[in-house]
Amino acid sequence: MIDGTRVIDYHGHVGRWERYGMVDDPELLLGAMDAVGIDVACLFHIFHPDGTTGNDLTARFVARNPDRFVGFAYVSPTMPERMVPELERAIDKLGFPAIKLYPPYTPWPFNEEPWHPIYEFAQDRGLAIIFHTDHFINNRPRYFENLAPAYPRVNFVAAHCGNVPEARAEAIAAAQKYPNVYLETCSTYRTPGVIEELVEQGGADRVLYGSDMPLMDPRPQIGKIITARISPEAKRMALGENAARLLGI
Amino acid sequence: MPSLNASHPMPSLNFSPRVPVIDANVCVGNHHTGPSPCQSPAQLLEEMDFHGVRRAVIYHAQGEQISPTDGNRYLEDWLDGDGRLIPQWSVAPVETSMKQITELHDRGRVSSVRLHDCQSAGLPFLPWGYNDLLTFLSDAGIPLWIPLMDVETDHLVTTLKAYPDLHAVLVGAHYTHALVVRGLLDASARAVLELSRYEPIGEVEALVDRFGADRFIYGSWYPRYAMGPILFYLHHTRMGEGELAQVCAGNVERLLGRTEGS
Repeated sequence: MIDGTRVIDYHGHVGRWERYGMVDDPELLLGAMDAVGIDVACLFHIFHPDGTTGNDLTARFVARNPDRFVGFAYVSPTMPERMVPELERAIDKLGFPAIKLYPPYTPWPFNEEPWHPIYEFAQDRGLAIIFHTDHFINNRPRYFENLAPAYPRVNFVAAHCGNVPEARAEAIAAAQKYPNVYLETCSTYRTPGVIEELVEQGGADRVLYGSDMPLMDPRPQIGKIITARISPEAKRMALGENAARLLGI
Repeated sequence: MPSLNASHPMPSLNFSPRVPVIDANVCVGNHHTGPSPCQSPAQLLEEMDFHGVRRAVIYHAQGEQISPTDGNRYLEDWLDGDGRLIPQWSVAPVETSMKQITELHDRGRVSSVRLHDCQSAGLPFLPWGYNDLLTFLSDAGIPLWIPLMDVETDHLVTTLKAYPDLHAVLVGAHYTHALVVRGLLDASARAVLELSRYEPIGEVEALVDRFGADRFIYGSWYPRYAMGPILFYLHHTRMGEGELAQVCAGNVERLLGRTEGS
């Protein structure tokens, strides 16, 4: 909690990637979260294309601290027969409220046909989907301009908000056109003025704080929001109010 | 990870540092690939004021990959009258650059230097290529800022071990350096890590526990990165107030041979 605002971190991982210092020790995550008032972190496991293996690990991780962590479902079109059954299981049985997709681990840009069964599922359920986005061909935020109007009950979240200026501009343009496009802030690029740009051009009601923990410590990432030249109201929306609305939590 | 000690205030929507701050890593001027968002000393000072940064160590963007000597000449235009902007001169192991640095040193104007990228031109950061420069810096007690993306890790370890009196500041470690930072700090007791890009979870506490707070310094690498987030982070670790003060200013003051406020 920061100044009465419940803080929700919209981007985190379960799983280990030790060569980059990423260790999913719950005490490590909770210690960093507590140090800066993060109440809840959204987590997903993207290292298993079947979905089931990672989603079960996520569910187990969340179950140890259910008031602090929320799991998102992960599936991959590289195992197409598993996608919809695993989404049904993850949403209905594991209780996950949203979906994470990671196009860099597939051969396809996320606007192509292999992904669409996921969007149809999310459209039926009215779910949010967070996508890794950047400037590479599989991950371009410009694809939201086709997807957002085609699936109006889905909320599309651009993780990293494209990371670099040209892709960030695409994400902002999509958010300006469609009410179901959101901009998530975590990035190893901590370029000055980006948070201000997202709020001023995309709208404060579309910005979601995320950290990418435990690949990155959530403290400098939340520091981007706190030290930005934006209003207290915009900070409250980005830190938690928008995420709470999106996830219904 | 143990929780914060009781003296740390809870975070709020507004942040200002509670210890004096020197930003040890600020780039000024236009890079050859495009304009900087910060175009004047006044603009830089305003940014520093907004984030509660008293002073900053500044180098010129042209010194990174184009010309250390020209970059240093352009840097003169950024030096303010009251000493809040502390010049850091770029240097390469070539005659023109060495001559310029020696002359500046003779005039008492060198408190630190920064390595120009010669690796991309084929010169590895090894003693056979850098002996004259590193011997001079070691003898004169001048600290050398070394951008990690501009040197091979294995070369750096070899060279740090070969010059144990060199005060090296290792700049720009990223999470992709997670496997090497401990080895680099082990390679020389005088090596210090600048923290502008280093974000693996819990690493500031873990590194301070292992090496001591005197081995780490705050830098933002503004305007490549925003000035505030790492400063906010450092204020929300379980470092004690004395350690925080060391990391935010004391260690770089010691390196530069300066006293804050003097």
